[in-house]
Amino acid sequence: MKKFNLKPAIFIGPHLIFFIVFGLLPSLYGIYASFTQWDLVSDPVWVGLDNYKTILFDKDSTFSYQFYNGLKNTFVFVVASVPFLIIIPLLVAAALENKGVKLKGLFQAILYVPGLISASAAALIWGLIFNAQLGFTSNVFGMDIPWAANQPYAWIIILILTIWGGIGGNLIIYRASISGIDKSLYEAAEIDGANKFQKFINVTLPSIRFPLLYTFVMTTAGCFNVFVQPLMMTRGGPNQSTTVLMMYIRDLAFTSGSSIAGMASAMAVLLGIVILIISIFQYVLMMRNSN
Amino acid sequence: MREKLISLLVLVFLVSLTLSGCGGSSSNGGSGGKTDEKTITFWTPLTGDDGAYMDEMVKAYNATNPKFKVKHVVTSDMYTKIFTVMNSGKGIPDLAIIHADRVPGFVDKDMLEPLTDIMSAQPSINADNYIPQAWNAGTVNGTQYTVPLDIHSNAMYYNKDLLEQYGVSNFLDDNVITFDEMLSLKGKLKKGDYVVNDALISWVILAQIQNLGGDIKDANENPTVNTPEMKQAIEEIKKISDAGLMTPYGEDGYLMFQSGHVLFSTDGTWTSTAHAQVKGLNFGVTNIYSFDPAVFHNRASSHMFAMLKNDARSDEKEKGIADFLEWVRNNSIKWAEAGQIVASKVVFDSPEYQKYIQSFFTSSEAETNSLYIYTYKYYPEVQEALDTYSADMVHGKLDIDKGLKQAQKFVDDKIKEDTSGKSKK
Repeated sequence: MKKFNLKPAIFIGPHLIFFIVFGLLPSLYGIYASFTQWDLVSDPVWVGLDNYKTILFDKDSTFSYQFYNGLKNTFVFVVASVPFLIIIPLLVAAALENKGVKLKGLFQAILYVPGLISASAAALIWGLIFNAQLGFTSNVFGMDIPWAANQPYAWIIILILTIWGGIGGNLIIYRASISGIDKSLYEAAEIDGANKFQKFINVTLPSIRFPLLYTFVMTTAGCFNVFVQPLMMTRGGPNQSTTVLMMYIRDLAFTSGSSIAGMASAMAVLLGIVILIISIFQYVLMMRNSN
Repeated sequence: MREKLISLLVLVFLVSLTLSGCGGSSSNGGSGGKTDEKTITFWTPLTGDDGAYMDEMVKAYNATNPKFKVKHVVTSDMYTKIFTVMNSGKGIPDLAIIHADRVPGFVDKDMLEPLTDIMSAQPSINADNYIPQAWNAGTVNGTQYTVPLDIHSNAMYYNKDLLEQYGVSNFLDDNVITFDEMLSLKGKLKKGDYVVNDALISWVILAQIQNLGGDIKDANENPTVNTPEMKQAIEEIKKISDAGLMTPYGEDGYLMFQSGHVLFSTDGTWTSTAHAQVKGLNFGVTNIYSFDPAVFHNRASSHMFAMLKNDARSDEKEKGIADFLEWVRNNSIKWAEAGQIVASKVVFDSPEYQKYIQSFFTSSEAETNSLYIYTYKYYPEVQEALDTYSADMVHGKLDIDKGLKQAQKFVDDKIKEDTSGKSKK
C-alpha cells in the first residue's frame, strides 16, 4: 500500500485552504446564485435560466442593456489599455538595458512606485490634475476641457491613470527576462552586422517570448476586471459611456435598495466565461509558441 | 516516526492558524475585536470625520460608567456586512445606525426589531422629543423601529462676498432663492464664475418634485419617475445650465465653490465643517432654490439608531441600549459639531446649538417643515435612477423624455427583481 506523504500537504495546505474557502466555494456559490432570485437576506429563489435569458435576449430589459453596454465598455478599455501596458514597459525595459543609462534602479523604482499607490488615492490626484478650473492641464497648457464629462477625454484620463499605475509590474518581469538572455546571442548578432533595432526584434523578443505571452494573458484578464479607475475618474459617465461591467455587477448586488444578487451573479458568470474563453485562446497561443 | 509527528503538528498548527483568521471573534456577535455580554456592539457607517465625533460621544458615555459599555465600530461598506451577518445569523451587532431611506426595506425584509421595549424602558424616547419628520421616518404601520440621531439635509451655501460683488445680496431677503432670480444673472458674471453648482443634483430635483406638488409614487404605491413634475423640474434646472450659469458637467462644483467662483453650492448640511476650514471663504447657508418663495423644500435623510433582529440580545442589554439612547438624546450637542441637524428637541432648542450654522433649519416652523424625508419603500431605487440619469439630462447629454423613460424602466425592472415576501428566513 502506498504510504501517504504528509510533507507536500504541509507546503500546499494553507494555500489550498485559502483557495477553497475564499476562491472555490464563493465561486461555486456564485454560479448557484446566478440561477436564483436573491436579495442577500431572504433564501434564494430558484429561477433556472431566467436571469441568463433576461440578460442575453430581453433587449428591452435594463439588465440586458447594462450587460451589453458594460461588456462593450470593458472591451474598449481592454483593447485600448493592454497594448500600452505591454509595449511601454517592454520598451522601457529594453532602454534600461543600454549600457549608457545610469541610475537604472532609480528609474525602475520611479516607474514601479505608482503601482503601489492605491488606485483611489491616485485617481483623486489625477482628477485634480485634469480639473478644468484648478488643474495643471488647464492652467499650464490652457486645455479648458471638462475631461470627465466629454468623450474621448473621459477614456483618455482613465487610460492615463491605468498606464501610470500599471506599467511597473510588467517592467520588472521584462527586465528580469531580458537580463537573463545569453549575451553571446547579442555578440553573434553584432558579428552578423545587426543594428540595435534588429537585435531587439530578432534576439530580445524571441528570447522573452514566454514572459511576454504570460504578461499578455495576465494583463488582459486583469483589465477585464477593471473597476476603480472609471468609478473614480468619471463615475461611469458621460451617459454611461465609461460604465464597465464590474460597476454594473457591483451596483446590482450592493445597491442602496434591495439587492439583485442573482442577476449580478449571472452577469459575473458571463463575464467569467468571456475571460475564460479569451484566456484559453491566449494560453493555446502561448503554449504553441513556447514549443 | 518522530519526523512524521513533527510534520503532523506543523500541519495542525498551520491549519488552525489559517482557520482562526476566518472564524468569528466573539460569542455575542461582535466585530473586529473581543466583546462580552456587558458590551453593546454598535456599528455605524460613519467613515468620515463624523465617525470621530461619534467616537467622542461614545467615549463620553462610557466615562459615565454605565452598566453596559458601548463599543463603536465604524464599519465601511456597512450595509453589505449587515446583509452578510443577517444571512448567517452570526456577528449581528447589538445596535446600528442606518439611514432613513433603508427603514421601509429593512422592515419589509423583517430585519429590524421594534423599539417598543426601548421606549418602555426610557419613556422620554418618544415622538414629542424629536424632529417629527425624523421620528416618523422610523414608524412603519404604527410601529417604531428607529430613534433618530439627526437630520442631514440638502442645503444651499452662498458666498457672501460674491453676492455683494454682483449686487444681489437681496436674493437672500426671504431665505429662498428662486429660479428667476438665478436666471436674472445671465450674461452678468465674469468668465469662470457661476451662479450655482450641480452638487447633489438628484437631491435638488427631489426637492423640486415636492415644490411642484408631485411625488415619486402613485396611489397604488408604484414608483413614478416619468412624471410631468419630474420633467418640469429637470427642464427648469436645465435652463440654468443652458444659460451657462451652472458649473460645467464633469467639473468639481463643490471645489469651485470653495475656491470662490460659485455663488451658490447645493450640497449637504455636513459640509459646513469643510467649508469653514477654507481660508477666506465667507459663506452662509439657506434653502435649496425653488420656484416660489412661499413653497420650498430641502430633501433630507436621517441617521437612525436601529436594532437588527437578533435572538441572542438579552432583555438586560436592551435596557442598556435604552440608557445609551437616552444619554444621546440629552447629550448629542457634540453631534452638531459634525454639521448635522441634531434630531433631539432638547438639543436643537438649546442656546448652545444656535451657534451652529445648521440651526438655520430649525429656526422656524416653516424651516423645520421644509426638511423632507422620502419614506417610500422603493425610494432607494428611485434615487439610484436619478443618480444614474439626472446629471446627463440636466447638462443636455441625454434627451429628457428618453432619459425619464429609461429611468422609469430602470426602477420598474429593479423592483420586479425584489424578492421580499417571496421567501423569508
